[in-house]
Amino acid sequence: MPSNFESYPSTRRLARTLGILLGTFWGLAIFGVAHADASEGESGRLVIKGSDTLGAKLAPRLAEEFRAEGGQNVTLEIAAEGSSTGVAAILDGTSQIGMSSREVERAEFAKARLRGVDLQPIPVAFDAIAIIVNEQNPLTALTHQEVEGLFTGAITNWATLGGRPGRVSAYTRNSSSGTYKAFKDLAMRRQNYGPRTQKLAGNEQIASEVADNPNGVGYVGLAYVETPGVKVLPVDGFMPEENNVRKGHYAYARPLYFLVDSSRESVVKDLFLEFTLGPVGQWIVRQVDFIPVRAPETMLLAPIEIQNVREANWPLEVERKEP
Amino acid sequence: MSDGPTFQTRHPRHPLRPERVPWRLKRDNLARYFFTAHAFLAVLILALITIFLFKEGAGFFAMNREHLSLYRRSGLELVEQLKKARTDLGELQRFAEERLAKSVKKKLDAGLTLSEAHARTVGERLLFEQLEEALKPLDGVYFVMRDEAMRLRDDVLVYENNRDLKEQLEAAANEKASQGLNLEALRLQREAEQILLEPVDYEARLQPILEKIPEAAAALEEVGRRLEVVFAPGENGAAEPFQSMLSPRMLTFLQEYSKSLPETAQRLAHWDSSKPIHPLRPYTTFLFGGQWLTSSYFQDWFGLLPLLFGSLIVAAIALSIAVPFGLAAAIYVNKVASPREQSLLKPGIEFIAALPSVVIGFFGVAVWGQFVRWVSQFDGLSWLPFFPLAERLNAFTAGCLLALMAIPTIFTLAEEALENVPRKYLEGSYALGANRWQTTLHIVLPGALPGIISAVLLGFGRVVGETMVVLLCAGNRIDIPDFTQGAGVIFEPVHTMTGIIAQEMGEVVQGSLHYRALFMVGLVLFLLSLGINFAAQKILRQRLLKIS
Repeated sequence: MPSNFESYPSTRRLARTLGILLGTFWGLAIFGVAHADASEGESGRLVIKGSDTLGAKLAPRLAEEFRAEGGQNVTLEIAAEGSSTGVAAILDGTSQIGMSSREVERAEFAKARLRGVDLQPIPVAFDAIAIIVNEQNPLTALTHQEVEGLFTGAITNWATLGGRPGRVSAYTRNSSSGTYKAFKDLAMRRQNYGPRTQKLAGNEQIASEVADNPNGVGYVGLAYVETPGVKVLPVDGFMPEENNVRKGHYAYARPLYFLVDSSRESVVKDLFLEFTLGPVGQWIVRQVDFIPVRAPETMLLAPIEIQNVREANWPLEVERKEP
Repeated sequence: MSDGPTFQTRHPRHPLRPERVPWRLKRDNLARYFFTAHAFLAVLILALITIFLFKEGAGFFAMNREHLSLYRRSGLELVEQLKKARTDLGELQRFAEERLAKSVKKKLDAGLTLSEAHARTVGERLLFEQLEEALKPLDGVYFVMRDEAMRLRDDVLVYENNRDLKEQLEAAANEKASQGLNLEALRLQREAEQILLEPVDYEARLQPILEKIPEAAAALEEVGRRLEVVFAPGENGAAEPFQSMLSPRMLTFLQEYSKSLPETAQRLAHWDSSKPIHPLRPYTTFLFGGQWLTSSYFQDWFGLLPLLFGSLIVAAIALSIAVPFGLAAAIYVNKVASPREQSLLKPGIEFIAALPSVVIGFFGVAVWGQFVRWVSQFDGLSWLPFFPLAERLNAFTAGCLLALMAIPTIFTLAEEALENVPRKYLEGSYALGANRWQTTLHIVLPGALPGIISAVLLGFGRVVGETMVVLLCAGNRIDIPDFTQGAGVIFEPVHTMTGIIAQEMGEVVQGSLHYRALFMVGLVLFLLSLGINFAAQKILRQRLLKIS
């Protein structure tokens, strides 16, 4: 081999070119790693990870408005891949704020303590989970027993519920989603989903599959109930609306949390939390079809444009603290 | 630039090369070491990946044993018996539902409105409702026992977590103390002391669950009695006795179910929480387990079969499309096409391989799945029992797209195999008066067969390992496909081994049982691909030997 390798000029030329390419590659790779390390410590960076329910619309809107309100030097990174990833990110310290659409479990708190993380869930909004069916479905209401039956697989045909005959196609979120577990808790007496249910990656996908399948049924956050082709069914007579949720009439509602590690100090994180729980943050919460944690009447009396909010009560700390 | 004597001795002078070219030699040597190093690095990384895979997966079975042992000791296993009794009647319930649906459909087809149709199928509806009613007695006692068992299980988990935490804190305190940092050590020690460990007393905690057993047995008996009443011939108020609604198969099913109820009660009475787990159980629940259930409140199960079946069905669909197309294309291009056509077709087919799989997956979701369902809704096709389709994302949709990805692999390798058939065979055949088709079919194809088989095997490997397309298009239903519906099984939504790893890897906590289970799935996948590649190479090598 060595003699072959050296004796053909074309091979040598090829070898040289390849060598240069590989060398450049490694050089760039090493430079890139070193550079990435250097930028890690910058202060104006806020990483938010977790629930898809929170991360799809609310978090980006909050981030956008936060930047507009004086946080323009802050780089915000949002990754929405499910509540469990949010908890994991706080435990691993890879993000300052985690998003979760379910309660933090006891085992997770224990794990946090194990790693010296002071894990704190902060409710920032309420989410009601709406049951959606295809708009061609003749049903107009469901009871909670029927919902349980549809998702545990005890009811497999729409005819059983008085609908048009057809095999039920039940769509659920996948198991990394907080909604996946929250729904079992809220609607299914903690039983497992039936084996014939299909796991889809997100709310949007569930809405579009249901819109496309006359026999489909699924659950989505309020932000997705307007998808063309689907309709929301009242459960036990109540629609998933703000008043019903506040009064506790609508059963499938849950708080949404930001998770933080209180033992880690971060000015940006505190500012962002303050912003989220403040009037503008809560106004955005309602804008994206969630229900604000603070009662609307104590927060804002009349429907107010965001400009007015800015003028009225908006000496936000962002401007004071940022140099 | 002085040259070391080593160059002279190591590399004897080439006749065409000037005598002293030290720098170039050195440069060549450098290049050689550079490449050798990269080659070794590649092998090393491959070895490390394999070791890592085995290391992470290996702990699975030991952990699974723990998992199963806790399942038994916390009484979840006992409760599962009741759960089974609740769900076992499912087949009869499905039958009742189907029957109701069918008669409603018949009434609808006869021109009645939906409410009229439902009003005239009260008897069928009553059958379903009576079955539901018959199972009611189990509900109360089941949920009470289940919640008790789950609480016990969770307490054990919290205890174990706290125990680990305490041990770690104490170890850290000792370390600080040995370094002379007494204040730190004291602080850690105090923190450790604050964690109160309450060992879980299984015996005492199981007592309330065990006390419920007679109640559960009574509930089972009650279920049996209710079923007997419902299916008593003649007298139950409905227009038609329920018994006459059942098919013979369902009647025997009902009898068997009724017989199983006292057996379940027996099993509850004789259940023993201290019995050790069978040594093979951790392996069988994975390798032959029919359930993949995660994030469950009750008990997580990691069974490979639904995923394995999903992967194999998708691969079978893909290959049954890709093999004929890929082979036909190879034969055409190699034996029939003019040079001009060849220069168009070959790069054209090979270009498919350049499409990113996520793009193909996206196409599948947005266009292909929709199209498949649209076709299935044609009236002319309604004689097929499984048409029209409800799901656009199913094994068939994914299989077609995977076929698209396997075609370039199969085409290229098969074409090469055809090309490598020695020329003298062809010439001999022509000399004997065979025409081109005869030669291709009887001489070239058999000659190239091992190469073609290995092309198919490599195509299979490509398909089984593909992730993005199946994740997006296969429908993600984790259930062993329903083979009873014959050919319709290819239109069932499935989940695959690659898909589950991609979907669930992000959510798992490192080192947990779920994490290791995913690694085990990866390992199975790895061994499968390894086997396929090995077989393909072996077949190829045999052929090379034979030809030479």
